Amino acid sequence: MKHVLKSFLASTAAVAAMSQAAWAVDLEFYFPVAVGGSAAETIEELTEGYMAENPDVNIEAIYTGSYADTTTRAITAARGGNPPQLAILLSVDMFTMIDEDIVLPWDDFLTEEEMDEWIGGFYPAFMRNSQTGGQTWGIPFQRSTPVLYWNKEAFAEAGLDPETPPATWEEMVEFAEALTLRDDSGDVTQWGVRIPSSGFPSWLFTGLVASAGLDGLANDAGTEVYFDAPEVVEALEYLVSLANEHEVMEPGILDWGATPRAFMDGNAAMVWTTTGNLTNIRTNAPFDFGVGMLPENERPGAPTGGGNFYLFDGSSDEQLQAAVNFVKWATAPDQAADWSIATGYVAPRPDTWETERMQTYAEEVPGALVAREQLAYAVPELSTFEGPRVTQIINDAIAAAIVGDKTPAEALADAQEAADAILAAYR
Amino acid sequence: MSAPTTPAARADLDRVLIVAGAWALALVWLLPLAYAVWTAIHPAAFETRFAPLAPLTLENFVRAWNAAPFARYFVNTILLVTMVLTAQLILCSLAAFAFARFEFPGKNTLFALVLVQLMVMPDILLVRNYTTMGSLGLIDTILAIGLPYFASGFAIFLLRQTFKTVPRELDEAARVEGCSWLGLLWRVYVPLARPTILAFGLVSISHHWNNFIWPLIITSSVETRPLTVGLSIFATSDSGTEWSIITAATLITSGPLLIGFLLFQRQFVQSFMRAGIK
Repeated sequence: MKHVLKSFLASTAAVAAMSQAAWAVDLEFYFPVAVGGSAAETIEELTEGYMAENPDVNIEAIYTGSYADTTTRAITAARGGNPPQLAILLSVDMFTMIDEDIVLPWDDFLTEEEMDEWIGGFYPAFMRNSQTGGQTWGIPFQRSTPVLYWNKEAFAEAGLDPETPPATWEEMVEFAEALTLRDDSGDVTQWGVRIPSSGFPSWLFTGLVASAGLDGLANDAGTEVYFDAPEVVEALEYLVSLANEHEVMEPGILDWGATPRAFMDGNAAMVWTTTGNLTNIRTNAPFDFGVGMLPENERPGAPTGGGNFYLFDGSSDEQLQAAVNFVKWATAPDQAADWSIATGYVAPRPDTWETERMQTYAEEVPGALVAREQLAYAVPELSTFEGPRVTQIINDAIAAAIVGDKTPAEALADAQEAADAILAAYR
Repeated sequence: MSAPTTPAARADLDRVLIVAGAWALALVWLLPLAYAVWTAIHPAAFETRFAPLAPLTLENFVRAWNAAPFARYFVNTILLVTMVLTAQLILCSLAAFAFARFEFPGKNTLFALVLVQLMVMPDILLVRNYTTMGSLGLIDTILAIGLPYFASGFAIFLLRQTFKTVPRELDEAARVEGCSWLGLLWRVYVPLARPTILAFGLVSISHHWNNFIWPLIITSSVETRPLTVGLSIFATSDSGTEWSIITAATLITSGPLLIGFLLFQRQFVQSFMRAGIK
């Protein structure tokens, strides 16, 4: 009897010790908010939902400002010896994070089966900015792609079919010419099209480059850029011609943040902007609008954008494994569907689109499907080593061509030279 | 050929130009504020349209206030700026007094080091400061936001220059009367430096009220984060900018500072004038 009691006590103690050890898994998770206030609440609901199902894990989700602020904080904390386990950062920051040597590839924490089923289950277009050198560094989560929004009422008034967006570059110019309205004194009251050129101009520009027939602005290793390729020059010439030659787009640098407002106020009849704006425009536009793929030239094409989960170096294996499990759960169909519907981000896996909720949503909001279809033609967003500097170079080149300081070919040749000088060190 | 210009006429012309210039600058300064008030009290549809009869609404303020725990953030920010200013005034007036009145070995080198602090951008020190706060076990505390700013090079420099202008006679008279060093600082130097202290206080409060990136990095929880972190939720870039909400939130967060400045405007302007003239 005594013996039994003793072993009972011992096993209770062991269980208590085990559960205590399990309780000890604390995770820190940094997230930026880039699409309006409610995204923060959705993330917190997500982590709370996970903790309710998994009481042995405690996740502290920490809002860390914009993407740039989050990157700054993650690098500071990691160098300061207190890295988070997880952070959502721009997918294009992959090379920067590898260069900083503060992130880990996910592969080490996954079985071969998980690699096939989980990693293999994301749209390949999203993985192009998430894998390099045969390893997976980012898990797609808040991802987006640019689309064309058009004002159906303005189309009808201009004598165009309100249900058909322009399918090609030439059609976009033709439509935009019909849609550009001037008053008696010759001032424009409605512009045909608006492709914003502040904020992150290289992103929308990659859409033009892709449809000109080039598979993105950089190689997959992040060491080469193709700024002076003929397709890129053609794309920039087309962009510049919209304002200068055809006079269907407002001249000068067009603000990114003011673009949805310009569309909803009737200042521009067609705009290019992210799918992330769908909820905003759907709630606030006083007219019927359509969402279409970006028009094609040589081929259809668009970039992907947005943020990935990164796994940070410097924690115990137990914490890292718990972090991986949380991300697996967060990208599972039900959770990904909630996230996509709440924010307008594109669900990154085909299995999410098969859920009942997602199918109902797609019926209500057909625009959401456009983004998914466009993924078949998507190219990666510009991502290289020294990413922010190289991106700034191409942004400056685009701005120089738009304001007329340089011809597109000159601006891009200069940009190529400047980028080569930076990237030479990584080749 | 030219009209005869009497000195009086020229003075009048100068006056007109100066007044016109002042008005022009005041208008340029006022415009963003006027726009903020306009957009904050109207529905979003009137963000970029001026219609005098547009419907008024307070909904933007309600939405902005509810988007983040602003009440708590207000408490944190007020705690932060009070703590920073108090610590700065105590530490820096002591240091400035020593630099202004005592002779000790290495004085000039030390003062040069203080001046170097003025040249270093605080952003460069983010990682170093983070590590220091980590080893002190202060991460995610209000103290950690303020601590790196306690020994302000700017305050030491400004107060030292002011203390140096205090006439030696006053100093010596107080010493003859048997005043201790601390008493001398407190009874003679600090009262005479009041305009400088007020001017520095204004700069310090507005700087720490508006500081963003360091508090964002060193804090994680609602209990420690200041107003600017709450405000940043609205500065989203992926989707369009919601100006009506942003301006409402900005007015909420900067309101106390604006009201405070308007109330004490005369004192502030005078103290700046005096600090500047000296």
